[in-house]
Amino acid sequence: MSKCVTICAIGFVEEDILDRISGSIQERCGIECKILRGTENPQYAYDERRCQYNSRLILDRLLRCGHDTFGILGVIQVDLFVPIFKYVYGLALIGCQCAVISLHRLRPQFYDHPPNRDLLVVRAQKTALHEIGHSLGLTHCRDRRCVMYSSTRIADTDFKQSHYCPTCLELFTWHLERCQALPYP
Amino acid sequence: MTATKKKESMKIVPPGKKKCVWMEAGVVSYKLCDNNYDCSTCVYDHAMQVKVARQKEAAVTEPLEVSADKFTETWVEKMMQLPASQRKCRYMITGEVGRKICPNAYECGNCSFDQMMQERMQVEALPVHALSDEGGFRVAEDTYYHEGHTWAKPEYGGRVRVGLDDFAQRLLGRVSGIDLPDLGHQVKQGEAGFRVRRNGDVVSVRSPIDGVVSRTNSRLSENPEIINESPYEAGWIFIVEPTKLRKNLKGLYYGDEVHKYMGEEKERLLSMANMGTAADGAELVDDIFEGLEGKDWDKFVKTFFRT
Ligand SMILES: [Zn+2]
Ligand SMILES: [Zn+2]
Repeated sequence: MSKCVTICAIGFVEEDILDRISGSIQERCGIECKILRGTENPQYAYDERRCQYNSRLILDRLLRCGHDTFGILGVIQVDLFVPIFKYVYGLALIGCQCAVISLHRLRPQFYDHPPNRDLLVVRAQKTALHEIGHSLGLTHCRDRRCVMYSSTRIADTDFKQSHYCPTCLELFTWHLERCQALPYP
Repeated sequence: MTATKKKESMKIVPPGKKKCVWMEAGVVSYKLCDNNYDCSTCVYDHAMQVKVARQKEAAVTEPLEVSADKFTETWVEKMMQLPASQRKCRYMITGEVGRKICPNAYECGNCSFDQMMQERMQVEALPVHALSDEGGFRVAEDTYYHEGHTWAKPEYGGRVRVGLDDFAQRLLGRVSGIDLPDLGHQVKQGEAGFRVRRNGDVVSVRSPIDGVVSRTNSRLSENPEIINESPYEAGWIFIVEPTKLRKNLKGLYYGDEVHKYMGEEKERLLSMANMGTAADGAELVDDIFEGLEGKDWDKFVKTFFRT
């Protein structure tokens, strides 16, 4: 299972969304994915004052829960934050192959637009690829079209493409080979 | 006159820019002001005055053909040929006042309206015409920035106004007090210029420029939170009579450099604050100090205020 990433639905997440995220990771990263359901909603991470969930606590839990793949990507519906940010689309532990993404601000309805499943999925795929990149050790890219470009607003996400630029792809492959060479902890 | 009869569409003045007085008077067909209407230190004004003087002399010895690049009148002379009711005051030209006709033959040095405006303009920072965004931080254009997160903006009369940038203001969060420099105090670029307090914590901030402090923003003593609300306008901190302006400006960021710098500072802040994680989609909270919960505050101050 070493060349495999676990996609972990935290709370309820629509099947087709998980499948299509998994598909794009296989296509773009050449990594197999395994979908894991049944992880409960993270009440432990809820912050009453901000009415959002602390993404750092979710990552810590994901990391501790043990999994038999070399990487894990949490997918969640609720709105996430880290203390100095108003919100986050995703958070990754750099070099620890562990990340989480939120669908909350990827839904067109959040911006008062009509529901659009395909748009939501494309955004989720880009965000997933971006966070997996970070989780392997990639940093932000200055190319606005590259999936590793930093998204401050949803327009940034919509502008970029669903794949890594040649430089980032090369870095991605390099990091991937290095961490797969390490013995599984 | 054919050469000066350019199409009107060629003479569009971009938002935030203003016509040079030489253009306004019709001496030249297109020129924007790039010196905050400080004609006394303007290289262009100086060159034009010299050019006019020379061509006047030459015209005495040999009659000149009137052509586009021969200037025989200064902008003041040209304006004075207009009927008295059309001689716009230079504050009207710059948009500082609505309608005001010059009663004083453009001798601003003897004009009490000019004096009053000068006083007023020192109290009120010039409005920021273009505010852009870099990774969630506001950047005022046409302004110079110091790496220690202060800004410097040359204004009319050769003075320079100084303040904290949006990054600094957000990092500090709700400011509870400010120690302004004394009038007449000499500040130096890159050296401590003033202090900002947040409850028990004091941060010493570098001056972006060398000069003698000629005015401080007295409103900040009672309402320091103006810095948070309006860092580039009402929240300005002090004004200096600069002593090394040209040299100092070379040491500051401007235009695209500012955006690049702010972007880098944001990445740096993120990697320091999020220890080992990469967070995305993030707009920073308005009070970063609070978000950090006191964690390694001294290290943040050292890094971003360059102390
Ligand atoms: Zn890239
Ligand atoms: Zn990122």
